[in-house]
This record gives sequence, C-alpha cells and structure tokens, in this order.
Amino acid sequence: MIRTLSAALIAATLSLAAAAAEAPRSIEMKVDGLVCAFCAQGIAKKLGQMEATQEVLVSLETGLVAVALKPGQGISDEALRATLTEAGYSVQRIERKDESLAELRLRLKATRP
Amino acid sequence: MSLFRFYGALACLLPAAVVAKPIAYQGGTAVMGEYGAGTMQEFQGFYAPSYRWSAGGGYLRLDAADGSFSREISYARGNLLLKRWNLPRAQANVFAWGGIGAASSSDFEGSKTAWNAGGQADYETLRFYSSLRSDWQYAHQAYVHRIDTAQLGWAPYAHDWDRLATWFVLQGRTYTGGLYDGLESAALIRLFKNGQWGAAWVEAGITQDGHLQSMFMFNF
Repeated sequence: MIRTLSAALIAATLSLAAAAAEAPRSIEMKVDGLVCAFCAQGIAKKLGQMEATQEVLVSLETGLVAVALKPGQGISDEALRATLTEAGYSVQRIERKDESLAELRLRLKATRP
Repeated sequence: MSLFRFYGALACLLPAAVVAKPIAYQGGTAVMGEYGAGTMQEFQGFYAPSYRWSAGGGYLRLDAADGSFSREISYARGNLLLKRWNLPRAQANVFAWGGIGAASSSDFEGSKTAWNAGGQADYETLRFYSSLRSDWQYAHQAYVHRIDTAQLGWAPYAHDWDRLATWFVLQGRTYTGGLYDGLESAALIRLFKNGQWGAAWVEAGITQDGHLQSMFMFNF
C-alpha cells in the first residue's frame, strides 16, 4: 500500500515537473509603432494588470514587448493581441519562450550597438 | 517668413516628427501645462477611455504681445485620434479636437461662449520627431485666433523604456488676431522618464525674444 502511494506520488511529482519544464516562462511580442517611452507606458500598465503576468519588459530599441508568466499560468495570443491593439499598437509576431526576462535583458544588452 | 516656410526649411535639414499627444493611452489620464513665452498659458487635463479618444477640460490665457488685451478661456474639449500608422521603427498620427467654454477679456464686457477646434499631425522615430499643430479659438463678435505650432526634435541617443529620454527641439509658432506679429521661434530641451507612478515630461527653452517657453506633462 505504502509502495503504491509512494509510486503514485513520485509519478505525480515527475509529471508536474515535466509540465512546468514544458510551459513557457515568457512571451515575446514584436510590436510596430513602439517608438515613444512616454506613450508605450500604456502597454506596460495594461499587460501588468493581467492576472497571469509576473513582469513586463518593453524594449523600444528592438520593438519588443515581453511578459514573464506566473508559474503554471498562461495568456492566449488573442488576449495579448487584443490588449496591445487596444493600447494603440500593431502586433507582428508572438513567440512563447523558455527564457526569463533577466535572460532576455542580457540578450538584448549584448546585441545593443 | 511664414510658419509653413520655416517648417519646410527645417524639414529639409532633418528627417521628419510631435507636440504632446492629447490622448495618453486607454485608461490613462494626461495632465499638462504650458507657459508660452508670455503670450499663452494653458493647463489641460484629459482622460482617455480608449486610445482613440479622450475628454477633459482646460484653461487658456492669451496676452497680446503689445499689451492691448488679455483673454481667459475655460473650456471642455474632446480629442479624437483620426488615424495612426504603426510602422516597424516609427509611428505617425493625426488628431483632431473641439470644444466649448466661456471667455472673458479685457476688451469686452462680461462672458462669451468660446469655441475651440484644432488638429495635429505627427511623425516620430526613436531619434527624430516632427509635428504640426493648429489651434483655433473663436467667440462670436469678440475674437478669432489661430495658433500654429511646428516642432522638430532630435534625440542624441536612442532612449529605451527604462532610460531618461532627452530631446533637442526647435519650435516655430505663429499667432493671429493681434496676439503676436511674425514668427516666434524657440529652442527647447525636453526630458521624459517613466516610473512606477506614471510618466513625466518636462521641456523648457527660450524664444528669440528671450522669453521662457516651457511645458510639463504627466501621464498616469
């Protein structure tokens, strides 16, 4: 009985770990019209208010907006696209990545001219 | 030299682009004030339920350069984004606005219904910006003023979200209706910064007559 319970517990833990590993840690969006920090403030505010959002990164130099997700949570492409469109911007591409915003910051810094 | 010639000449020297936008962002409030070299002083507050429109009110004081009259206008105004172009490394906008209020002046008795209307076209990149804006003020059998403003700006570095943005701006402005004769030009420095509290924009400079030209704006 104990063996069966232990095996079930281990299996459940491994399954959760695998799911967490597969889940994207951040969502990266290429956005057109992103040239003014003053105006793009609305993007950070709106995305930051979403329940699944842990942190928001806006990079004007690369035209990127990235959202770090809370563990186990997600946001659909449609919801992201709607939020950015309602903020007055055009979304070109949405990519889900297994990269933290800290790693993305480093990557952007490395490519900065 | 007319304002449009001045603007055209500057446009040849620099890539084109804005004055402060009257619509911050959906759910955003913009509060702004301008001290226009002693000729105009304006304070405005707008709330934007959508990125396409905002509504609010303002106070405008106009003082003729020769001291012949002073006007005070309080108004309610609506702003509309007519068109926006989101480009890979740039953005362009066309805005229009209109409103109604009350005016008093040193050259007429009592208070009159005051109408205002205007528009703005702008183009902006991370390093260059330009704008052309026109404001019209009218009170029946009392006054008509048009204030045209052109700005060209250049940023010495491409600012990012979390960095202080610095812009050098050249401004040309003309007034009608006896407010100021000729072209009033100014050189300005503009700074803006985002924070947890919102965003702040401050600019200050000097006109060719040696007067202070300044503006502030907060978005939250």
